[in-house]
Amino acid sequence: MLNDIFIKPFVDMVSAPDFLLQVLWEGLVSGILYALIALGFVLIFRSSRIFNFAQGIMVVFAALTLVGLHAYGIPAWIAVAMTLGVMFVLAVSIERIVLRPLVGQPDIILFMATIGITLFLIGGGEIIFGGENKQMITAELGIPTGDTVLEPWGGLLILQHLDITVVVVATLLVAALLAFLNYTRMGRAIRALGDDHQAALSVGISLQTIWVLVWFIAGIIALVTGIAWGARAGVSFALEVIAYKALPVLMLGGLESITGAIIGGLMIGILEKLFEIYWGQPLMGGNTETWFAFVLALVVLLFRPQGLFGERIIERV
Amino acid sequence: MKHFTKLAIAAVVAGVTAGAALAQELYTPNLAYRTGPFAATGIPLMNGQADYLAMLNARDGGIGGIPVNAEECETGYSTEKGVECYEKTKGKAIVTQPWSTGITLQVLPKTNIDMIPILAPGYGFSPMMDGATFQWAFNMPAGYWDAADMIVQYLESQGSLDGKKIAFLHLDHPFGKEPIPVLEQLAAAKGFSMVPIPVGLKEMQNQSAQWLQIRRERPDYVVMWGWGAMNAGAITEAVKTKFPMENFVGVWWSGHDADLRIAGADAKGYKSISWSFPNQDAPVMAAIKEHVVDKGLSKSDAEEMSGVFYGRGIVISAILAEGIATAQAHFGTAEINAEQLRWGLENINMTAERISELGLDGMVPPFSTSCADHTGHSGGWMLEWDGEKFVKVSDLLTANVDGYKALAQTNAAEYASANAPWPVNENCSATN
Repeated sequence: MLNDIFIKPFVDMVSAPDFLLQVLWEGLVSGILYALIALGFVLIFRSSRIFNFAQGIMVVFAALTLVGLHAYGIPAWIAVAMTLGVMFVLAVSIERIVLRPLVGQPDIILFMATIGITLFLIGGGEIIFGGENKQMITAELGIPTGDTVLEPWGGLLILQHLDITVVVVATLLVAALLAFLNYTRMGRAIRALGDDHQAALSVGISLQTIWVLVWFIAGIIALVTGIAWGARAGVSFALEVIAYKALPVLMLGGLESITGAIIGGLMIGILEKLFEIYWGQPLMGGNTETWFAFVLALVVLLFRPQGLFGERIIERV
Repeated sequence: MKHFTKLAIAAVVAGVTAGAALAQELYTPNLAYRTGPFAATGIPLMNGQADYLAMLNARDGGIGGIPVNAEECETGYSTEKGVECYEKTKGKAIVTQPWSTGITLQVLPKTNIDMIPILAPGYGFSPMMDGATFQWAFNMPAGYWDAADMIVQYLESQGSLDGKKIAFLHLDHPFGKEPIPVLEQLAAAKGFSMVPIPVGLKEMQNQSAQWLQIRRERPDYVVMWGWGAMNAGAITEAVKTKFPMENFVGVWWSGHDADLRIAGADAKGYKSISWSFPNQDAPVMAAIKEHVVDKGLSKSDAEEMSGVFYGRGIVISAILAEGIATAQAHFGTAEINAEQLRWGLENINMTAERISELGLDGMVPPFSTSCADHTGHSGGWMLEWDGEKFVKVSDLLTANVDGYKALAQTNAAEYASANAPWPVNENCSATN
């Protein structure tokens, strides 16, 4: 037993390095997508202290809108632009109709409001688009679908062009987001609001504008995530559950940390894949990915209750 | 006083009329799921079911002249909501259609008390085939153990399975685990090894870990018990990892055209065992078009109607209708109750002639039920994806039921004793 836990997995890794590389690559692809979803949560939480339960359904809604618009004969990239428009209208509507009347209410009320948004988007989405599984317009968007086969150490490493594209686009999006948050006026305003609401408001930062902006950014992230996941297995309401994979990322990285979301996502993506392949499947019958990330986050929380990169809350009495 | 008498007469007349109006329908609620993560596979099935019954209502005025009310109660494939729907509809229902193995297992003990037959065609708890123990449950025309046996038979027809390895990719859910006892038994008998690979509900669309395991195990075949988004997820991963599609076989719930269309030509060669086939030339399709589609009463479209799942929905409603008609003929009344329908479902005789009479030519194999056999064991065809649609690639395969009959009886007896007191039909021997 001790051999199976402490020695055999590492022997397997060394004896089949090409397979290990494949596992790491698949983990990286999953991790970057987890990070992307987690970023959507973090941005909204930082600026408004709202845990956005609707992030998952926003992924579905954005992907369905894109596919639905294209089905009406609208060219793919115009459909992307129009979908972004829809996500902007959604952001404005959420701020005006749901959030603005609730300013000053306890956090739990705002959280409940996002559950309401989720139910509204599920119902609305099903009425408008139906519940059938739809094909993502991968080819029409010019996303490559072939693969590159490498033979490291005489082995086999398959790199899907779709996955490479996802990694590149997600990395660029994260870099652009970081640049926006660090080097633009609006970005700094978002960060200021995250650091101290009262202070930010006192220097004239508009809460309404920032809320619309962060919900719109979350919408953009939802669209990119929806395209990436939808290209793998179709667009349906099943995509919603993907968002739950971001929860342990947030626990691990900290709800307020953008760096935490990125590093937490990558860590969970890679570690859960390594654990599943080298320990979970041989020793526990597999399917450890459903709980591994939560256990990892729990262990981290035992030692760092604020997460790896979260802000330490110090209350003086 | 005159006024009072008039009012009283009016009330009595209204009451009698309303009562008669209420009674003048066969209430067959469907615990449907058109929403949620499994909606994509539920919608075509529900549409096929609804359209067939709508056609009977429009063409024949229902069954035996009484319209069928197949009201849907939405479960979203959630077991909790399914049980709520059962409780909500059981008052006047003559049958319940739970549409999930999880919901079936939950309502199974309740139906003994409520005395409502469960109709779960091609799904549910496999030992339900033992009709003496599961008096109120029916899963004809075939059960999951039949599917496992037929798949293994088909694979064996491609060459001996001795020393071969089969990866069993399944949803980590009661449905996905159903065939494991029979697959283990067959593995021991035929000399192949079986590697179970579970897929969690949250991993349905990202099965890279499962397919990495398949790559490492190098199985000769992959057998899939998938549902909903898991099917498309598995097929795209199989394409991605270059697993030979001709060695990839799914159960009948893993043979949905829309899932395969996502991979398109790359999925050519993928197979699925099925007890139904969408025959576009069958007379029932023309009848549905005339009485339902052309009148704008269908929720379906041409693409969906040509698929396996829509056709299966039609067959499922046809089985229910046949059970109702059998009961009506036996009891000499069109207004049957749940107990009478139970008898009807237990005495279905779907011969080739009867299938043709119903206009279902080529859509379902012949089968019959009895008080001891609630599954029917119709057998099925191996279907193959040709890049655009499913085609038949085998003659009718029939399961070797004797191979697991004893197992079914043992499991049924264990279930009954674990849920004691459990009523068993003492008048039903294992042979009748």
